[in-house]
Amino acid sequence: MKLKKITALTLAAGMAVSMTACGGGNETAATTAAPAAKEDTTTAAAGDAAETEAPAENAGGELSGELTVSVWDYDANPSMSSMVDSYMEKNPGVTINVIDTSADEYNNSLGISLSAAQPDPDVIFVKDMGSMLQMADKNQILCLDDFISKESFDLGVYKGVAEELQYDGKTYGLPWRSDWYILYYNKDLFDAAGVEYPSNDMTWDEYYDLAAKMTSGEGSAKVYGTHHHTWEALTSAFAVQDGEHTVVAEDYSFYKPWYEKTLWLQDNGYMQSYANLKTANIHYSSVFKNQQCAMMPIGTYFIATMIQSQKDGETDFNWGIATIPHPEGKSGYTVGATTPLAISAYTDVPDLAWDFIKYATSAEAAGLLASYGSFPAVMTEDALNTISSIEGFPEGDSNKEALNYVNFVFDRPLDPDIEAVRVPLNEVHEMIMIGEYTIDEGIEELNTRVGEIKGW
Amino acid sequence: MTTKQKRKIRDNVIGYSFILPNLIGYSIFVFLPVCFSFILSVMKWDASQAPMEFVGLQNFTRIFGDKLFRGAFMHTVSYALMTVLPTLVLSLLLAVLLNSKIKGIPFYRASFFFPYITSTVAIGAVWNMLFQPEFGPINEFLKFVGIANPPKWVVDVDWAMVAVAIVTVWKYMGYYMIVYLAALQGISSDLYEAASLDGADSFQKFRYITVPMLTPTTFFVLIMLTIQCFKVFDLVYCMTGGGPGNATKTIVNYVYEKAFINWELGPASAGAIILFAVVLVVTLIQFSGEKKWSKDM
Repeated sequence: MKLKKITALTLAAGMAVSMTACGGGNETAATTAAPAAKEDTTTAAAGDAAETEAPAENAGGELSGELTVSVWDYDANPSMSSMVDSYMEKNPGVTINVIDTSADEYNNSLGISLSAAQPDPDVIFVKDMGSMLQMADKNQILCLDDFISKESFDLGVYKGVAEELQYDGKTYGLPWRSDWYILYYNKDLFDAAGVEYPSNDMTWDEYYDLAAKMTSGEGSAKVYGTHHHTWEALTSAFAVQDGEHTVVAEDYSFYKPWYEKTLWLQDNGYMQSYANLKTANIHYSSVFKNQQCAMMPIGTYFIATMIQSQKDGETDFNWGIATIPHPEGKSGYTVGATTPLAISAYTDVPDLAWDFIKYATSAEAAGLLASYGSFPAVMTEDALNTISSIEGFPEGDSNKEALNYVNFVFDRPLDPDIEAVRVPLNEVHEMIMIGEYTIDEGIEELNTRVGEIKGW
Repeated sequence: MTTKQKRKIRDNVIGYSFILPNLIGYSIFVFLPVCFSFILSVMKWDASQAPMEFVGLQNFTRIFGDKLFRGAFMHTVSYALMTVLPTLVLSLLLAVLLNSKIKGIPFYRASFFFPYITSTVAIGAVWNMLFQPEFGPINEFLKFVGIANPPKWVVDVDWAMVAVAIVTVWKYMGYYMIVYLAALQGISSDLYEAASLDGADSFQKFRYITVPMLTPTTFFVLIMLTIQCFKVFDLVYCMTGGGPGNATKTIVNYVYEKAFINWELGPASAGAIILFAVVLVVTLIQFSGEKKWSKDM
């Protein structure tokens, strides 16, 4: 066991060093250097043994101790720092240390520190649901069922989202934030063209027509009808929006109409070409902010960005939001993702960690999240009102109504191989978008490569 | 123990203590992980606390059977072919050129050296803009000189690796130019004077004095470049991310993906070992070639 830990640490160190070449250098932000693995943590590492030893300080109701949470881009994410700060305020005896990593490196760096079985971090902000499953498979995060049954904790407060996050019937994470696709549009451009704003009940076909209609101008003055960022999700997420397929499939032929439409938008010049965006490394926010597109489907997280941008005077135009277009007959269906909170299996303060994630996913914390323009996993009427009353949120009831949905589908399924499957998804998407593959060739390659990963 | 022996031990201890800091760092961060990856290459392990499982050579047979690995291997080889010789020749020519007495020599030397110390991320981003297919300066120029359909570079399966290779040559030639410059300055001017007296022209001097005298340096540069090219990762990651599709995925990109996306450390280590073996073989061939070459000269 000990030897294993040493080798794991060595490996981690070696890999960390050799990977810094392209690391972007955000790793300096760590508030606490992770201490070397203490011998006593091996007992806690046993996972199920962890919660049998309740810390003494818990008896009096007053929690104290030191908690370490793993986060990404902390300074740019007030939603995370607000959780940490307000929890410390409520529990003066608790000190929270933050391990901050850049978003791009987050999963790697977390994976390496977990493989070294260190007692820190205790609480993990899970960046992708796929990585939560990987950690669960490797027993690196605690199954929360024992905590839940011990306290008869009611998952009902999460309105079904917690159950959707269950993996093999077990709960590994509590839902903290959610983001889903909505349609942003530039009111000024619509007004100038004399076209009605996108409605909250629009089919995809209506959207494609609208994109064609709103395209105008030539050269550098060209305004594109819409803007799809280079992510493959901006085709695939809408292909799974109806809830009948997922992006881990045995047969990808259901992608075909969606790729046809995306290519139609691109080849007719109703949106910027993939090649252009990729080579010029163009971020979607600059396209919308520079008024180069009339519409843009992207996640709800962009609301906070736009509010900030208007406030800072970076942009000065009227914008609005609408519900994401839907397939025929699936009005109100949206697609998105949830950010769960999990507890490391190697934590030395499991009860404190549990208390923290309970708090961060509570209705109280939801209001706090909303006040920063972020979307708690469980949308309440209160949270909705808070968000829509933030100064800078587009005026008009339709904008608030745009945030309603009747059905929420995950853009990626809870599949332990999802991260591996995303590699061919991305590669094939690129090949189709630059015209190197026909759609059929792409679908065939996906069928083969995903089949190999899944062992079908 | 005699005083002499004692002194010898003391000298040794002092000597070792000088190299100790580096040795410790090297052992922890390089040597042990390398050894460990040899072990891992015959194991099945997902970087968790779950026990490793010995699987023998299965990892190797598995990745040899993987079309993606074979592709990555071929991409790496073609990248090396496109990069090593051009860098070598250009850096030599640059060094000879900048070894003469032109005005502003330090400025030129510094200019050619700058790319080497610039961050790869920045280089990747800027070159991607230059290579931009529709309105990038490079294609604008190509259209200007009459090439109607210039390549789409990093979003073109056939040209993406060429683009990466061009940037590599540009980035590294300055560094090897400095290496060559140092070697050039070590060549005694007596040789050139004697050749002048014998009536040799500049090309003959270059061919029969400079090139042979630089052989050890050329050999060093060749090996360093080859190793560097085979382990290319950062520039590819920043410029193309291995794409389009997987057209520029190299062995190290493949290893990275296997290890840190799929968390299959066994096959990933096997890939790294194969890379090691290839570089070793190429270097050994170059070694034996060098012996022969320097004899012939």
